[in-house]
Amino acid sequence: MPEACGRRFDEALLSGFVDGVLTQADEQRVRVHVEDCAVCRREVEEMSRLKEVTMSSHFRMPADDQWSEAPRGGTSRLAFGVGWLLIAVWLVGVTAFGLWQFWTSGGPILGKLMAVAFPSGIALLLLSVLIDRLRAMRTDRYRRVQK
Amino acid sequence: MPDITVAAAAVAAAESVVSLPDAELIRGASAGLAEAREELARRYRGPAYVLALQLLGNREDALDVVQEAMLRLFATLGRLTPGRAVRPWLLAIVRNQARDLWRRQRVRRTEPIDGTGEGLAAELIARAPDPEEAAGREELRRRVWRALSRLSEDHREIVVLRDFHGLSYEEIAHVLDIKIGTVMSRLHAARRQLRARLSEDGRHA
Repeated sequence: MPEACGRRFDEALLSGFVDGVLTQADEQRVRVHVEDCAVCRREVEEMSRLKEVTMSSHFRMPADDQWSEAPRGGTSRLAFGVGWLLIAVWLVGVTAFGLWQFWTSGGPILGKLMAVAFPSGIALLLLSVLIDRLRAMRTDRYRRVQK
Repeated sequence: MPDITVAAAAVAAAESVVSLPDAELIRGASAGLAEAREELARRYRGPAYVLALQLLGNREDALDVVQEAMLRLFATLGRLTPGRAVRPWLLAIVRNQARDLWRRQRVRRTEPIDGTGEGLAAELIARAPDPEEAAGREELRRRVWRALSRLSEDHREIVVLRDFHGLSYEEIAHVLDIKIGTVMSRLHAARRQLRARLSEDGRHA
């Protein structure tokens, strides 16, 4: 926008003029100038046209089944979190107690290690699969696409 | 904390929650009533989704952001002062969530972000009655949205909030957390930038 157009007001008022938000005095000032200045008039016309094109756009909306399930409320989210926490505490507590009992009971150490190795290996394999699944679930961008 | 019995009575007294005004739904949703929450979500998820799509450029991220924004809306309804509109409040949440997602993606993204605007332009649908007029107009519309997608975040969001979502300057100031006096100057700078992008496109076409 060349400054030579003789405008004596802040250029941003042209946007306010397009939006119809100026005070009566400013609106009058801009209107008088725009009537005389071809450069500013073109700018106002172009901004109005772009605004109209933008305003009249329509976007494709997701299908009904693509919206997430009913929004979960705060109480429900709290219950969900506390539930998982209790399960985790129970699992860790029971496992630690069981291991302690097993270790302090009589018998050869080698035998105990042999007895623990197999189930521990299976548990670790399952854990690794579970971690991979959870990671994939969180980062898969197409998880909502129906297969 | 709203009185749950009053809120529940209002929801129950209405033939359908669809006919309830926002203020009643907010009261019901704040009291934890599922029907009120669902109706609020149904009423406002459309504009929320479109804003997220306009800011992020793809459907999957937009849906994620809307889901998070709805949860945040219900968690913060108590802070919504009576008489204040839900839509700008929700759009402010969507805008902040979209910005957070952008930041996270910029850190860990391995593929380039779609900077062409093609993803957003592909989501446009034509609604003009005259097919011949529609063709030219839709092409212009696509060009405008492609150009908008290539603006800076600050410029894109202010044009979209004003020219598509029709927010007032005061509402925009609230959504973007800027002074109301800044809105007009930023909006004007953004519109000039948009015009410049479109001119560049025209020269390269």
